[in-house]
Amino acid sequence: MDNLNEIVQEMVKTFKDQILDLEQIQGIPVFYFEKEDILEIATYVYKTPSLRGTLSLQWAADLNPIKPVCRVYYLFSLESGGHWLILAIDLLEEDRLFPSITPRIHAAKWYEREIRDMIGLIPVGHPDLRRLVRHEHWPRGTHPLKKDFPWNTVLERREGTYAYRHIEGEGVFEVPVGPIHAGIIEPGHFRFSVAGEPIMQLEIRLFWKHRGIEKLFENLSLINGVSLAEKVSGDTSFGHSLCYCQAVESLLSVEIPPRAEYLRTLFLELERLHNHIGDVGAICSDAAYSLALAHCNQMKEQIMQMLDRLAGHRFLRGVNRVGGVAVDLDSSQLDGILAGLAKIEEDFKELTDLLFSNASLIDRLETTGILKEQTARDYGVVGVAGRSSNINRDIRRDHPFAAYRHLNLKVPVYQYGDVRARVRVRVDEIHEAISIIRQVCGRIPKGPTYIEAISSATRGRWALSAVEGWRGEILYFVMAGENGRIHRCKVRDPSFVNWPVLQDVAPGNIIPDFPLINKSFNLSYAGNDL
Amino acid sequence: MFRIIKKSLKKGRVTGQYPESSVPAPEVSDATRSKAKLFHRSLSIREVDTGSCNGCEMEMNALMNPIYDAERFGIHITASPRHADALAVTGPVTFNMEKPLKDAYRSTPEPRLIVALGDCAIDCGIFKNSYAVTGPVEKHIPVDVKIPGCPPRPNEILDALLTVLGRRKKE
Repeated sequence: MDNLNEIVQEMVKTFKDQILDLEQIQGIPVFYFEKEDILEIATYVYKTPSLRGTLSLQWAADLNPIKPVCRVYYLFSLESGGHWLILAIDLLEEDRLFPSITPRIHAAKWYEREIRDMIGLIPVGHPDLRRLVRHEHWPRGTHPLKKDFPWNTVLERREGTYAYRHIEGEGVFEVPVGPIHAGIIEPGHFRFSVAGEPIMQLEIRLFWKHRGIEKLFENLSLINGVSLAEKVSGDTSFGHSLCYCQAVESLLSVEIPPRAEYLRTLFLELERLHNHIGDVGAICSDAAYSLALAHCNQMKEQIMQMLDRLAGHRFLRGVNRVGGVAVDLDSSQLDGILAGLAKIEEDFKELTDLLFSNASLIDRLETTGILKEQTARDYGVVGVAGRSSNINRDIRRDHPFAAYRHLNLKVPVYQYGDVRARVRVRVDEIHEAISIIRQVCGRIPKGPTYIEAISSATRGRWALSAVEGWRGEILYFVMAGENGRIHRCKVRDPSFVNWPVLQDVAPGNIIPDFPLINKSFNLSYAGNDL
Repeated sequence: MFRIIKKSLKKGRVTGQYPESSVPAPEVSDATRSKAKLFHRSLSIREVDTGSCNGCEMEMNALMNPIYDAERFGIHITASPRHADALAVTGPVTFNMEKPLKDAYRSTPEPRLIVALGDCAIDCGIFKNSYAVTGPVEKHIPVDVKIPGCPPRPNEILDALLTVLGRRKKE
């Protein structure tokens, strides 16, 4: 914490004339600036060697009717100690223009396009102002997150075309894929420009599944938002609901009982486990190694059936609630988990020995889809993809939540950034997750699993929370409104950060390797599109 | 390798190791039943996601794992709607996916079965009336079978599909 104080004092000294206001919320320093200064200050936080801030999230909130302003927030994760720092600018009533930081900080690219689509603020100087969320058939001037936009508006369909980037030249042709793909997966459109075999350019167009989740949150009360958070991305139901609950709990100053913290850790790791095992199998299957797929799918199914028996839902829905968890496990159930996992660990160990000694499989995985460390840093890549490109970040260790501060945790980091490295990170995390579950079962304290949340938050107060889901860091920003309702809820799934980086990873590889690369990132469309 | 093979031999079969579905099978109209009769021994399904949370996709994938192994009943997933006998649609239909859904529907040869899979596909669930959602699947294309659940478990999906094909034992 001293370290953070020093950082704050340093910032105050450097920019004392420009800082309009400074407050500490949940221990995070929030600096307010004039909008004209933001580019300079954001660049300072990003570039200064003692700070080296990664832009983790940029979002805007329409503060009407609390205040007649739209506020844009910039959340930076600092290299030193993993501290957070927030910059904020206010745009008064009719003002819609704010300076874009994308020319200096690449990670802001999609965030600023999203802000423009959803709230209608225009990032001046942004290199690419095509629509992101609103597809071309949306009417002009539709900005769903503005407060004067009714949540149940019926949109009229318009005509329009999206301007894809084209490469022209002899022998260059385009391969459009999607939005409906061949497998049982979600919709998204990929456009490859190829000359011969290697991909020259890839353009990804998403947001087909945009369901208006952030707007729907504004209809809910703080306590009831959990069920919507569970449906942001089905495979991360527990991670998302946990992150949401944490934000609301710190907003309502609820301290959950220790047993609930341990149970949350247990369930989060079980969710990580079945998803990672499924991913390892799916990557092998994309390299045409179906033996591994069959074995992994079997293990995954065993875990999911176990979750169904324990919590009554295969995706752990209905387990989290504001104030704790709704499911308690007795000691025989915990023993059952340990016994089941011991078998799975043994089977999985044998399978991975086989995988990593299989020359034809490793040949497909090695040097395929390399994500360079610098590229990953520029995009602010998170989670498994980041850790396989030498980005040593893990919320469980850097910002411990639930019971992680009491547990031992190793964070696997690899350097090569190819598909094999991403498989290795997953394999290591599977073993790590099993070890964490063992620690949890050994140390779980007795007591209640739930505490009633009664107090309500004053409107305009907000809280931020982060959870390391199995894909990477999930962030929730929840601002309280009138009568215990939600004023603004910003959801960030790790997929939103990692999707654009695929456009940088794919070129140079051949199209048949793309499914393999895509699978090794395994990003959620639903969590991205919201 | 040999260890794994030996282990698999020792383990025996895993297919069928799942609890019976406790949800009653969906009602199937006579018209649907007679349509389904044509496909008696096989059913090629094309899955179309129009805005789900991907829970339904995971369960559809699970349907193909060695434990449920829907292929043993001739149910398989095809890559193209042109090869499909049935479309399984998941999720509320979003504003952006309405057109792709209709395209997929038009590309599916007749006779075709349309399955609305999951609560969202049936009545939009929690996303009802959102500005970005244009309604349940039924509003855009005719639906033959509805499989409720959020998401339906693989054994429930399997049960429902076999009921449609008239291959489930009557209780």
